[in-house]
Amino acid sequence: MSAIVVGGGVNGLVAATYLARAGRKVVLLEAKDALGGACATTTFATGFKGPTIAHALTALDPRVVAELKLARRGLKFAVRDMPTVALRADGKHLVIGRDVRATARGIAAHSRADAEAWPRFRRELFDLARAMRPFWWDEPKRGWNLPPTIATLRRQNLAAWLDSRFESDAVKAAVACDASGLSPLVPGSPLLLVWRGCQEMCGLQSAAAIPLGGPGALVDALTAAAKVASVELRTGAHVADILVKDGAATGVVLESGEEIVAKRVLASLSHSQLLATKAGRSALGIGESTALERSVPAVASAKVLLALNAAPNFGGSPSRGRFLLADKIETFVTAHAASRAGCMPEELALEVVVPTAADPALAPMGQHVVSIRIAPLPRHLAGSWDAAKAPLAAKAIAALERCAPGLARHVTAAQVLTPDDIAKRYGEEDEVTVERVMSDWPSRILTPIKGLFLCGAASEPVGAVSGRAGRIAAAHALREAAK
Amino acid sequence: MKKPVVRATPFHARAAAANLENTWVTRNGITLASSYADANDEALAARLRVVIADISWRWRVMLEGPRVVEFLAKLVTRDVSKLAPGTALKALWLSDGGGVRGAGVIARYGRESFLIAASAPDMGWIAQATVPYDVKLRDMNEEGGLAIVGPTAQATLQAAQLPVDLEPLAFRKLSWRGIEVTLSRFGEHGGFEIWCAPDDGVLVWDRIARAGESFGLEPAGVAAMDMLDLEAGIARPERDYEPARDGTASGPSPVALGLESLIDVEHQVFNGRAAYLASREKEPKRLAGIEIDSDTPAPFTPLLLKGRVVGHTLRSVWSPALRRAIALAQIDVSCFAPGTKLTLTPPPSLAVPELRTASACVTALPFLKVPDSIAP
Repeated sequence: MSAIVVGGGVNGLVAATYLARAGRKVVLLEAKDALGGACATTTFATGFKGPTIAHALTALDPRVVAELKLARRGLKFAVRDMPTVALRADGKHLVIGRDVRATARGIAAHSRADAEAWPRFRRELFDLARAMRPFWWDEPKRGWNLPPTIATLRRQNLAAWLDSRFESDAVKAAVACDASGLSPLVPGSPLLLVWRGCQEMCGLQSAAAIPLGGPGALVDALTAAAKVASVELRTGAHVADILVKDGAATGVVLESGEEIVAKRVLASLSHSQLLATKAGRSALGIGESTALERSVPAVASAKVLLALNAAPNFGGSPSRGRFLLADKIETFVTAHAASRAGCMPEELALEVVVPTAADPALAPMGQHVVSIRIAPLPRHLAGSWDAAKAPLAAKAIAALERCAPGLARHVTAAQVLTPDDIAKRYGEEDEVTVERVMSDWPSRILTPIKGLFLCGAASEPVGAVSGRAGRIAAAHALREAAK
Repeated sequence: MKKPVVRATPFHARAAAANLENTWVTRNGITLASSYADANDEALAARLRVVIADISWRWRVMLEGPRVVEFLAKLVTRDVSKLAPGTALKALWLSDGGGVRGAGVIARYGRESFLIAASAPDMGWIAQATVPYDVKLRDMNEEGGLAIVGPTAQATLQAAQLPVDLEPLAFRKLSWRGIEVTLSRFGEHGGFEIWCAPDDGVLVWDRIARAGESFGLEPAGVAAMDMLDLEAGIARPERDYEPARDGTASGPSPVALGLESLIDVEHQVFNGRAAYLASREKEPKRLAGIEIDSDTPAPFTPLLLKGRVVGHTLRSVWSPALRRAIALAQIDVSCFAPGTKLTLTPPPSLAVPELRTASACVTALPFLKVPDSIAP
């Protein structure tokens, strides 16, 4: 075997396929019985299918789609370029779409000044995004330097940055939603927004898209591509440890005791997960492991799926949108602060998608699925997450009810995945930090162990379903093999 | 807030009685005599006769556990697995980026116990690093330590009925006329060190002092010992250089501090190895000694060659044995050959106020070689 890919998530599949296409003999090992990781479609109630975690693709790398010919392998989009709809309790919902003028007209209902500022802001954001594209999309060429504007942004916080551009809470909160991984008061938080702007430049499917059949359809297409490239796919293969000899990876050992030998191992692990392995323990530096142990993420997200027996009514907004629920930018500030303190935030910030609006086949005729991502939330809640499961769902539904009156009455089933559940299923995530966003690809992909590469979502600047980490990790592995 | 107190060593009663000038310094939070009468005389006595110096301020920690060898392989820059109990080696520990965090003696007490003795504490780092290895740390700083240094140190020990057959970098626990002590030979200035329980401090001091009486033994303070260190070309963390305190710091470089000999590149797994290997060729500075024709310059005084800055001084001292000011310096690799003439701006002096530049001559380290010293 010339390479082993550990973890069959989107990035793992992408990495394995790229390696196999380059003529390597590749085996992909997935501990669970299904491929796809956090990108999956689940049947959460009889007849209702919904996205397990990721509910809209906002960062999918178009080169992965094109190079792996995913369209030919069955990837179709139910909807591409979903508009963002900021739901307001007063009913003046704000639709933010690709059309700058139309968006500005909508903003005018909240503030005339903001409507005027909007095109300027988009231009500024995309200028920044364009400057950063070589850095985040791929590995920058020699001689590429960090633009000075970005260095300035690293010192600014999102709240102040938006305050100096907009006056209305509606616009500020809607924009801040896309950078909710960091508190808006953290210096450098605007960079998350720039990263998001960069994704929007990746083509329509990256603006916010839903594959036909749910996120699982993307995995099906990737699996098909992997099979065509003759990747050996093994599910239910739990890797116990990575084998290391003289500072270089030599293969993996499975929980069954089986050893698989390969010169290169690509693992969909976060750095903290790597630290938990015996190989990682001995390879990571003392300073690095100390820093990792201390940077336990305080902030996480939860996922709620609702089955509805009627269409949700968001006050006349297009139902094929990405709905954002956050009153003002301070909602994120207080939610981050509460999360860090291990308390349930008083006001929740929600991102809502109605997959059935674009793809009615996911639910019985006339019925709907509502997919809600709640973030930020405490990773470790005072008390226990299990006890807070039902109250969390109730709270999210109540928040939604305010903008979509009558919705609560139609809920027939719900599935809640708390931060605990998500960590248990998919492993502990690495903390989102400005340092991580601004680090280069090799520092996230390469490890102190020769021949061991990290290719998971944790190696992206911001965790997302993109396939980029898998593609770049595979390129690194191939380059090292060529040496 | 806790009131600062004098943290005395086990020898404090005797040190206070001997300290004619009542000069004290604090090192690692411990109160020590800076000099008892005259630091220069004390330093000379260490060259010509024999001195005892209180070294209880050295930071010492005992490491114990079944995986302690594995832990030390990760922590320090040399392989301790082949050390026999009762022997020691000198090594560094580096940050992830290859910067020097600390330097010290690693002594093997038993199959699963080692002692780290260093001149600057680094407890946080070592404690954190032990976590995955389940190694227990035991603070040994309560013990008292006396260094016995000088040409007649061996004779003094013999007179005190202590064994003198220790090899360099070896140590032995022994019962010395009723007291449990550890005798070691770790010092850079020759001689021996004797470690005892806090309550035995005064007794140990008295016994050694009596045994050394006919050899002209006198106590030497911290200032005199620092002079010896500098004459021996030893750079110590905290005193001579700022050790790496950030986990990923890439400096100070072991190469620029003349500490490469404490790194075994064949030892595969020590922390910071990759960074050290990648950066050692690129390090432009080397540690050298300089002899100066003026008063002692302040640390980081620029050193010039034909008007171009080629390095800077570290700590400097007036050496009574060499009868001139000497300093450790970090000098560009292109001009650190012994004999190179450099210039520097001397400190303002009342005696010769018109003096604007002084000359300095690069000298190989150590300035003075002690016959049975243990090179760092």
